[in-house]
Amino acid sequence: MLAIETEGLSKSFVTGRGRARLEIDAVHELSLSVAAGERLAFIGPNGAGKSTSIKMLTGILYPSSGSARVLGYVPWDERRALGHHIGTLFGQRSQLWFELSPRQSFALLTAIYRIEKNAAARRIAELAELLEAADLFDQPVRSLSLGQRMRCELAASVLHEPRVLFLDEPTIGLDLIAKQRFRDMVTRLNEHKGTTLFLTSHDVSDIEQVAKRVVVVNHGRMIYDDKVSRMRRSILSTKLIEVRFESPPQALSLQGAHVLKVSGAGYKLVVDTEQRSIREVLDELLDNYRVADISVLDPPLEEVIERIYDVSPTQKDKWAPT
Amino acid sequence: MGPYLSAARSGARRALANPAELGVRVLFYIVVLVVLVALWGAAAEANGGEVAAYSFIALAWYLMVAEASVIGTKPRLIEQIGTDIGGGMVATEMLKPISVVSWRIASELGEAGARLLCAAVSGAVFITAVAGPPPHWGALGLALPSMLLAVTCIVVAQHLFGAISFWLGDAKSAWYLFQKLVFLTGGMLLPLQIFPPWLETLSWALPFWTMAYAPARLASGHLEPWILAGQLAWLAVLAVAAGIAFAAGERRLQVGGG
Repeated sequence: MLAIETEGLSKSFVTGRGRARLEIDAVHELSLSVAAGERLAFIGPNGAGKSTSIKMLTGILYPSSGSARVLGYVPWDERRALGHHIGTLFGQRSQLWFELSPRQSFALLTAIYRIEKNAAARRIAELAELLEAADLFDQPVRSLSLGQRMRCELAASVLHEPRVLFLDEPTIGLDLIAKQRFRDMVTRLNEHKGTTLFLTSHDVSDIEQVAKRVVVVNHGRMIYDDKVSRMRRSILSTKLIEVRFESPPQALSLQGAHVLKVSGAGYKLVVDTEQRSIREVLDELLDNYRVADISVLDPPLEEVIERIYDVSPTQKDKWAPT
Repeated sequence: MGPYLSAARSGARRALANPAELGVRVLFYIVVLVVLVALWGAAAEANGGEVAAYSFIALAWYLMVAEASVIGTKPRLIEQIGTDIGGGMVATEMLKPISVVSWRIASELGEAGARLLCAAVSGAVFITAVAGPPPHWGALGLALPSMLLAVTCIVVAQHLFGAISFWLGDAKSAWYLFQKLVFLTGGMLLPLQIFPPWLETLSWALPFWTMAYAPARLASGHLEPWILAGQLAWLAVLAVAAGIAFAAGERRLQVGGG
């Protein structure tokens, strides 16, 4: 079953008047299907059209053309009805009331979503356990740290058990531990409740650890759509080799590879697998040098994404998923 | 409990959760009353004990109620609504399955109701002490629901004025205009009967008399139940106008982004 379905979804904005009038395509013919329970990262550089797409999918923005259905609802026509079934979490915008405690905010949300009182109490207890946040729910929101508040924000977003959760930069500003914890919690929610996750983030770790599928947009157009695990391989024809020799070699010369970094007897090499296979490079290394330790790595995802962002939309076919 | 009733209850809790702010507000209100009662006391004395058929006691109760109605509401709410529209807060609220304007009005009414109660009780005690008991208990009985209607009219009108931000980007000018109109034509400082005829006529034609003059006139001993009907009629007009303004504004956000 599809949770989100768009067909040629477009949005353009007009700025200026007269000669200065300019029409900007914020989103251009986005056609996308997201299955129920899927974990999708929707990424792109600033101004790529991510937030505009989310606003259309949540019903707070009309498209210029095209169609979309979220859980069977046309978002901009059935915004309030859809609101009962989706949750949103924006890293830069709170949905808790700062002068209240999270528990008091939950009481308001219980009324907004018309959740039955006993069911709400059960759900709050469940979330307190899942998010390890029971001790936070009774403190005033303004006294919580950002990491603690984000746990409560997540609880507020899913209190009504939404079937689709839109997460827009949810880990922005969090420290490493809080980020990791947040990712674990979101993933757990998806596994326990089958909540569809639609995530936008500039943090590569969010994408790697939360999403299974990635859609990249740039200049309002979709330029990539594949599994996160296949992303590196399909985009970059390079591998990294980290090798430590028993003693530093006099000279290191390998066809199809170049040295990226040297640290004592440790070398970091980049292999272009279109020039020479990784196996051939490894064989040459092991045959001709005294290797103490060796590992082969994929290039960092940042590099992969950077490469995708750089490409023009016309080159997108080159990366069509196999 | 429905979402709007819940919002009102939460608003009241919010007002009471900050006793220092509430205390300062009530203190400021009493100081204003001290000054105005002294001024009008002197004016009444110079005019043989009354001004425009208002005795000193009637004027004291008039001022107490007129000021309480206004002090109960947030003076800068219009500006805040503008900031929330411009800053995207309203767009975020649109994600929830509620009427944004009804939710906001309910929440503000809860807060204003709690403040009004504190101000009115303190004001009544003060005025009874310095001027005497209310001139007409029956009229005072009508003044109580009239005060609630006055505060409701103010909050709804503030949302109507604040909605201008959907088009202009901010609501500072609307806030300034609203404040002056309530001040001048709402009867906050003096009964409409004291105005020059043209200003009195203008004041009756505008809705602002429902926000201060209406309950104050009743509290000053005038048993005029039609005032409540007038307030209800204006409230209906303001509520429809605010609803339309927000619906149009939300649609504008949906078309143009926000």
